[in-house]
Amino acid sequence: MSAQTQESKGMPYPVMAVIGALLMFGGMYLSTDPPSALSFQADLAAQGIPLDLGKTIATIGVFLILFPAINLFFLKPLEEAISERTNTLEEAFTDAESLREEMRTMRSDYERKLIESEENARTQIQSQIKEAQDLRTQMVAEANAKVDEMTRRAREDMESERAKVMGDLRLHVANLAFQATEKILSENVDDARNRKLVDDFITQAEVGTK
Amino acid sequence: MVTNLQNSVWLLGAGEGGHGLTPVGLFAYAFLVIAIIFGILTASKNGLNPRYFTNRWTQRTEQLYLFLENMALGIIGPHGKRYMPILFTFWLVIFISNLFALFMPSAPTADLSFNLGMALIAIGYVQYEGMRANGVGKHWTHFAGPKLPIALIPITMMIFVIEIISEAMKNLSLSLRLFGNIDGGHLAAESLNSLGKHIIPVGGMELSIPFGAFLLPIKLLTVVVQALIFTLLFSVYLSLVTHHDDHGDEHATAAAH
Amino acid sequence: MSMLPLALGLAALGCAIGLGMIGMAAMNGMARQPEAIGKMQTVMLIALAFVELVFLLTLFLGANSFKG
Repeated sequence: MSAQTQESKGMPYPVMAVIGALLMFGGMYLSTDPPSALSFQADLAAQGIPLDLGKTIATIGVFLILFPAINLFFLKPLEEAISERTNTLEEAFTDAESLREEMRTMRSDYERKLIESEENARTQIQSQIKEAQDLRTQMVAEANAKVDEMTRRAREDMESERAKVMGDLRLHVANLAFQATEKILSENVDDARNRKLVDDFITQAEVGTK
Repeated sequence: MVTNLQNSVWLLGAGEGGHGLTPVGLFAYAFLVIAIIFGILTASKNGLNPRYFTNRWTQRTEQLYLFLENMALGIIGPHGKRYMPILFTFWLVIFISNLFALFMPSAPTADLSFNLGMALIAIGYVQYEGMRANGVGKHWTHFAGPKLPIALIPITMMIFVIEIISEAMKNLSLSLRLFGNIDGGHLAAESLNSLGKHIIPVGGMELSIPFGAFLLPIKLLTVVVQALIFTLLFSVYLSLVTHHDDHGDEHATAAAH
Repeated sequence: MSMLPLALGLAALGCAIGLGMIGMAAMNGMARQPEAIGKMQTVMLIALAFVELVFLLTLFLGANSFKG
């Protein structure tokens, strides 16, 4: 962009070249046929300073042609190539940067997923453990209840058996007592009175057994 | 035979010097230099591509370009890239001419008139840039130094004259420095060659030793340094006139001489 | 007998002293601030060129006036 401003503000290149060519030929002419105004050059040459203004002017002409020529011939393409190379490099760098960014996001995603799955697994394990524990406590409670029930039932059975046995026993004892009394007394005693006697006896006996 | 040997002496030690070339001779040399420059540039141009440069000449010219660009950006400032064509051309012409001066009896830069032409272009361009950057009037009043009261007009005029003389001296110093270094190299080589003239008698012939060839290393240094100095000073002068916000200009310009 | 060689030798002496002082100062500076070597080299070269110019002027103008 700077080169363009120079071009737009400075002398256009064809004009420069034409002026350069004119200066070249003018200088050569001056040098081959120096006018009297330049006669001081001979004095300078005698002093050991070989100055020839014609050659100087021609040199200026040569350079006026040379600057644009080298600029157009080489510097512009070189600058373009360098800037293009810089662009390519920058592009490559930005590409690499974006790829790296992508990789980074992918990795963070992956890590996040990993953490999530670990979390999931942990909660699942926890819940399973909890469930198992619940199950165990439940089973233990059930077993306890069953044991209690069985104990209770066994005790009830026992009680009932005992009651039955006691009833049987009482009846047996009563019958025995009857028979014994009949044998002893062998006279018919008032039945009701007998029954009362026996009952009293049994009650006493029960009290005694108890 | 002997004359042939004597002729080959200048190839190594680069003789003559002390007097200018004829116009035709100068332009023969100058166009040879320009032809070589264009040869190098063509070789470099073939290797240009948008990826990376594998051509050796392209790499070299690119390095030169980047070096000069760094110099321009460092000395002149951000707008220094505009002056690349002129800097690049000066560097190439002076460098190739100085290389010529190592191995040839003469070279464009060994001619005062050629150097004066280059210096005139350089200083003329500096004035042109100064007028463009600061405006014509401001550029000329800039020569008159700081603003002084009316009573001190003689001093302002003196400063103006001194500044103008200093601008003219810039031309002289640029051209004389280059001419003196290159032509002085020629003269020194010639003197050393004359020391070794006809000092080995072999079978009726007297061979010479081109002692001037021993000056080649230091002359090689001069070749690069002079090309560098010319472009460097040119950039410095450019930066002095285009840095309009810098008020240390006057002192820097005065200090330059 | 011409005094020219002596005069040139004196001029060369002065120039050499000047160049040496510039080189010394530049090297001191570079040793102290290695990061500023680039800038110092540029300024040093400019200074060297100016000192050298004085000698060249002496050589051309002085020697020629001696001759003439």
